[in-house]
Amino acid sequence: MSKSEYLTEYDQIVQTMQMYIDGSKQGKSELMRPAFHPNASFFGYAGGQLAVGTQFLFDWIDRNGPAPDIEPRIVSVDILDSISVVRLEVAGWSGNLAGSGVRMSDLFTLLKTPDGWKIIQKAFHWHAAERSLAA
Amino acid sequence: MSDIVSGVFAMPERNTPQKTLESWKQIAAYLERSERTVRRWEANEGLPVHRREHEKQDTVFAYRHEIEAWNRLRTKCPGPSAIEEAVNPTSPKAANAYLVEHDAITRTMHCYIAGARAGDGDLMRPAFHPSATISGYCQGVEYTGSVAHVFRWIDENGPAPNITPRFARIEIIETIAVVHLEVEHWSGKLAGANARASDVFTLLKCDGEWKITHKLFHWH
Repeated sequence: MSKSEYLTEYDQIVQTMQMYIDGSKQGKSELMRPAFHPNASFFGYAGGQLAVGTQFLFDWIDRNGPAPDIEPRIVSVDILDSISVVRLEVAGWSGNLAGSGVRMSDLFTLLKTPDGWKIIQKAFHWHAAERSLAA
Repeated sequence: MSDIVSGVFAMPERNTPQKTLESWKQIAAYLERSERTVRRWEANEGLPVHRREHEKQDTVFAYRHEIEAWNRLRTKCPGPSAIEEAVNPTSPKAANAYLVEHDAITRTMHCYIAGARAGDGDLMRPAFHPSATISGYCQGVEYTGSVAHVFRWIDENGPAPNITPRFARIEIIETIAVVHLEVEHWSGKLAGANARASDVFTLLKCDGEWKITHKLFHWH
């Protein structure tokens, strides 16, 4: 029995998201880099500081190190032909930079490319006003 | 306000005021402005004007209830009380803080829509963050890069007066938001005729203002 077109796309999107989650959990940006489009962008505020650019994200993940207790949940996956929006909630962030028990809300937008679904933007909100990402 | 009933289904009644305005002159008189001003409002600010196709030249008309609704929205700027609600969550009206953010986001989006309608990239520029990017496919070609591509495309495309934008989704998470906009009846030099676009915008609240940081599009 073959999967429906919707399920095929959905599962591929979730696989791309899993690379991001694996990289976050292990503190290894190399695991999540293939999930991102080369022209991907990254935006968000953390403790009043604006963080921009995927390089900031990858450096942060590597410096933060393992965050084995994160609890990621996919809140929504919307697919419109070649584009997609995924909302991810991650509770229990920990690590060298994250501190402990911090929550992050993410909005990922993805583009379907010949190499599969790629994250083209990650916008985030860090739910810890008193603690910046570079604490 | 008895004229807010639908002008589409109501039968014409002789003793009630006309429900449609049948020319630029009538629309201008109704809004107590010059024809030039109301034409500019249609191009730049989304004044709802409709067209009937004829062999030689299209004629314009407008529904009074639509013009009134547009006028109410347009004049609704957040007054001091709304701003106070947004900054002071202990205010008894704090339940409206969501509406304050929602309205601020739709104002930013209307700036984009006005530029798209007018074919004027500069008009929509204030809606975007300076580092904003775009991505998507148009006729099988992948576009990714600076939002400057959008401004150029809009300028080259020219006016698209008949677009019908609809907010399919607005989701706000504190300082970030996603807006799914469906736009039908795109027209212009590049868009062709009667095209449809699905757009997903990501917005960031910077210094109290919502700015688009990314436009992701699918051109149907």
